[in-house]
Amino acid sequence: MATDNTDPTAEYRKNQSWLYDSKAGGYVRKTAIGLLTLVIGVFVLFPLYWMVVTAFKTTSEIQQIPPTVFPADPSLEGFRLVIESSIQAGGYAGLVSDLFGITVTSAIDINLLGLIVNSLKVAVGAGLIAVVLGTGASYVLSRREFRGKNLLMSLLLASLMFPGTAIMVPEWELISTLGLFNTHLALILIYGAMTSPFVVWLMKGFFDDFPDSIIEASQIDQCTPFETFWYVLVPMARNSLIASFIFAFLLAWNELVFALTLLDNSKFTVPPGLLTFVQGFNTQWNVVAAASIIVSIPVLAGLAYIQRYFVQGLTGGAIKG
Amino acid sequence: MTHLELDSVKKVFGDPEKEGVVAVNDLDIDVPDGDFLVLLGPSGCGKTTTLRMIGGLEDPTEGEVRFDGTVVNDVKARNRDVAMVFQDFALYPHMTVRENLGFGLRRENNDMTGTEIDERVTEVAEMLEIEELLNNKPAQLSGGQKQRVALGRAIIREPRLFLFDEPLANLDAKLRKTMRTEIDELQSEVGITSAYVTHNQEEAMTIADKIAILNDGELQQLGTPDQVFNEPANLFVAQFVGSPDMNLFQGALSERGDSYRIEMDAASFDIPKRLVDTEIDTDEVLVGFRPQDLYQARTRATNGPEFDTQVRVVEPVGTEAIVHGTSALGDVTAKVGRFHDLEPEDQMELTIAPEHVYLFDPTTESLLKGRLVTERAEGGTSADSVEA
Repeated sequence: MATDNTDPTAEYRKNQSWLYDSKAGGYVRKTAIGLLTLVIGVFVLFPLYWMVVTAFKTTSEIQQIPPTVFPADPSLEGFRLVIESSIQAGGYAGLVSDLFGITVTSAIDINLLGLIVNSLKVAVGAGLIAVVLGTGASYVLSRREFRGKNLLMSLLLASLMFPGTAIMVPEWELISTLGLFNTHLALILIYGAMTSPFVVWLMKGFFDDFPDSIIEASQIDQCTPFETFWYVLVPMARNSLIASFIFAFLLAWNELVFALTLLDNSKFTVPPGLLTFVQGFNTQWNVVAAASIIVSIPVLAGLAYIQRYFVQGLTGGAIKG
Repeated sequence: MTHLELDSVKKVFGDPEKEGVVAVNDLDIDVPDGDFLVLLGPSGCGKTTTLRMIGGLEDPTEGEVRFDGTVVNDVKARNRDVAMVFQDFALYPHMTVRENLGFGLRRENNDMTGTEIDERVTEVAEMLEIEELLNNKPAQLSGGQKQRVALGRAIIREPRLFLFDEPLANLDAKLRKTMRTEIDELQSEVGITSAYVTHNQEEAMTIADKIAILNDGELQQLGTPDQVFNEPANLFVAQFVGSPDMNLFQGALSERGDSYRIEMDAASFDIPKRLVDTEIDTDEVLVGFRPQDLYQARTRATNGPEFDTQVRVVEPVGTEAIVHGTSALGDVTAKVGRFHDLEPEDQMELTIAPEHVYLFDPTTESLLKGRLVTERAEGGTSADSVEA
């Protein structure tokens, strides 16, 4: 029982702890959280940092032991070599010498712009296939009851667990039979098929949460099923559709093994293209890093623009009425 | 302008041959042109299923739905030209209020131009006083505003039928009352036949031209609000309609000259035969008193039963109070005036006029005698009670 000289607020302090209810404890918590964030940040971002730093180093500095954390003598040599190589391999050497009077010769023979265009082609194609097929399938899987539905969903999930390389040989045979060897269409089909199951799962979550009454309201508003889909479902599903597309796009953009084995040099996408810069003991790492930075720019710019849709789409079928 | 008929409509969910759930069974309802029908019943009684069958969102397993004599069973929802207000409003979240209102008109196969549709949207928005919200998205609206938009989306098309699926259930009590009046006014104004689903009997009583009371998929009674209140077809209707709930007691009935003698545990009284339409041939009855019909004997004398009640709780509701008490008959609820001197534990004497007494057959639960309104003379004893 409280006596006269005790603090009347003592009753409310019974549950206090030093860590959570004192100023010093607050600082300790904030410091701990800050340190943890820092460690995770370094872990995630250091490879990116190393790529950027390497791009600005000279070949000799890269091979120096111990390595330098900052380029002692920043140089754009890597970028120059990449650009020269692209100009030459892209067949613009004549144009450049006509316009600027600079003669471009390069020992490397890789057209970065061509790689990016090839990759965009493949990634956009795969993204479209995955979104169109995946959305259609998920709508049916979510809205209709039929025999074998759960089996089908499990199969789709299982297909996501397969490493792509495990089905390398049959895929190769299939592409060969179809006569699609060394075409971008082959990659578009393979990447589309690889990412569709994920899109099905993502979009099914959206359609499962979709209120029936809105679909019924559109029927009452005299919509045909297609009009309902086009005017009501698709606009409301926008974020999830964008997230699905980005997922498929990024997978296609990053995929190396299929691209390397199914295409030859002339049709390479970015990942196998970058690999050709790596040439045994003679690899010019500053060139590889510079090329990597250049190819990341279009993707980064695009993602920065639509990332909020991506996050909203992934975090679930939040339909706000 | 549509005359709506449901003819032996039955809906079974699941396999009808096996263990399907019968949601609606053998339902006959006839709604004349321009009438306001309310489907009333507890949860799971089949009222929403019935509404959805009228709208074409659900196919009847058996029976016919007819608009103006034409069977529409095979007509899809989008071709039935009905408008529906959903419980959760079901506004399109990605469209502004203006687009929500105009969407139906744009999809409809009519000759309206974009400008004409815009004009119509503005007209409806003014009617519902939501014109300043036209450019907002539904997420920015309050519940009442969403409700108005949902109403607007229904009336903009001047459909054959209005269907309301518990449209006020998601609103607060005050808004519910104003919107109820507005829906009623709006419907009388445009004169379009309407069907309205609710589980709230008070809402049903105030808004309906006709009430269809359903229980377990079966129609219990179809009648005007007065009919279902004063002459409920059976015990279920009597208990479901009216608030507070009806008091029910066991009684023994015997004939005595030109009146019936009702003997209850603590009170007995006579009901003149003229007040009873049906021939009563049981000797056991269930006696029903509406709380509103009970009076304190000190304020009004009747020829009906009088019984002592010990007050348990007094719930004042303005000029009157709902009093819960215990009597020799059992628990009693009464809605009485002059309650300010009543305290828990007090004794009061309650009475009821014989005209107001309900009698039910205890086995079939059907009504034997309903509440007679016209017989009652204000201020005490009626002409009947003199001779009784």
